[in-house]
Amino acid sequence: MSMVFNLEKVSVSFERYSVKQRSLKYSVGRLLRNTNNSHFQALNDINLKIEQGENIGLIGRNGAGKSTLLRVLTRVISPQKGKIFINDQLHLVPLLELGIGFHPDLTGRENCYLAGLLMGYSRTVMEEKMEDIIRFSELAEFIDEPVKTYSSGMYARLAFAIATDVRPEVLLVDEVFSVGDEFFIRKCILRMQKLMKAGTTTVFVSHNLDFLVTHCNRLIWLDQGRVVMDGEPTEVALSYRAQQGHF
Amino acid sequence: MLALHFIWYYTLSHLKLKYRYTSLGVVWNFLEPALYLGILSLVFSVVNRMNIQDYVVFLFSALIPWRYLERAVNTASESIVTGDWLLKKMYVSPFVFPVIRWLVAGVEYLFSLIILIFFLLLFKKQWTSHLWIVPLAFIPWAILSLGLGMIGAVLYTFFRDIRQIIQLGLIIIFFTSPILFKPEIFQTASLQARILQWNPVTYYAALFQKPVYYLIWPAATDWIVTIGLSLIIFILGASLIYRYRGKFYFYL
Repeated sequence: MSMVFNLEKVSVSFERYSVKQRSLKYSVGRLLRNTNNSHFQALNDINLKIEQGENIGLIGRNGAGKSTLLRVLTRVISPQKGKIFINDQLHLVPLLELGIGFHPDLTGRENCYLAGLLMGYSRTVMEEKMEDIIRFSELAEFIDEPVKTYSSGMYARLAFAIATDVRPEVLLVDEVFSVGDEFFIRKCILRMQKLMKAGTTTVFVSHNLDFLVTHCNRLIWLDQGRVVMDGEPTEVALSYRAQQGHF
Repeated sequence: MLALHFIWYYTLSHLKLKYRYTSLGVVWNFLEPALYLGILSLVFSVVNRMNIQDYVVFLFSALIPWRYLERAVNTASESIVTGDWLLKKMYVSPFVFPVIRWLVAGVEYLFSLIILIFFLLLFKKQWTSHLWIVPLAFIPWAILSLGLGMIGAVLYTFFRDIRQIIQLGLIIIFFTSPILFKPEIFQTASLQARILQWNPVTYYAALFQKPVYYLIWPAATDWIVTIGLSLIIFILGASLIYRYRGKFYFYL
């Protein structure tokens, strides 16, 4: 099995956001006073190896660093510290916050082509897949409407349909099941199972622990930007639940 | 290769989007520069007390590339911040955003060129072979625009005041360059003449004004100053984006 990701001592911190920080006056003042903004440590010395074919679930409370870790794996965020290896030979598709990058003013169809090109698939390939994407997302009537007119469910359906129809070798999913009706979620799960069987490496962020325990072969528990536990899903889920019980 | 396809497809989408909700659509590409240039020539031929036919040829020769530069720099400066819909969701090289805006401005420039040719056909009395240099004269302008656009895009991401400063800077440079008025109206030793001499846009304008209006070839100094400066600014812009590429996410 080949390595997909290798993270060594990866740390990411965010400056605590204030509207003032974007102004020139504030920045010059900060420079003159030689002061720094306060930081929030989202990831702290993370070491992580992910091999091809693994199905990983990321769990943890809000603010634990799950979404940040997923963004590091997709290269959307560059960590300030540490080393990161990402296997460039594999087709990696991210599905962050219920979406691929969709331009709000472009139509669903145009966004499909654009997202396809970004994921490494030509327009011709996407044209061939378009019918399937439309059928799966159930957006036949709306595919030529700008995506800004879509509801959050429609948006997530289209994103999920594109991300999974291109049969990625690595799929990174952040809380995709939080919108959409029950029927669509079931469709999504079936498709995910198919991909996993076909050998797609998956990393899920979800609060749906039962789904992760059933479908993943490895569970990683994060807390305050650190890996608390990494291992067999039932064991990790048990410890996680036990710890949460204290609150 | 696919990155180039993406740039191309997104540039086309951008152009389509721009006119998608307008009744006249693509006609605005011709109408807008025609109206702008028409009004400007009327007003400034009176101010400069010049024959309008002569003035139109002078004005348009350098104003068309200047408008291209202005548009490319202004739109490219906002490009990384307005690209947050993508930068926050997928990995994409930040170079793509200013390049796309620069290409869109380039396509609009081509439309303006058609208007320029139309006005020249109407007003230009003498046609010489010097005109053939015009496509080459555009190259330093294009490199400069992309370089400034990239610098603007990095600065605007970190400091939101920079947009107003860039606009103000462009206005100052424009009014201290010989685009609206001829340098001959000032005495050689005057302050105005010295400002013109030190304004680099004078050399950029000369690349167009000399072959189109004065019917001479641009001087070697014009080429050296413009190509040299454009390359320096382009390298500076590209290295700024490269250096700060990992930080943009945190400022979007």
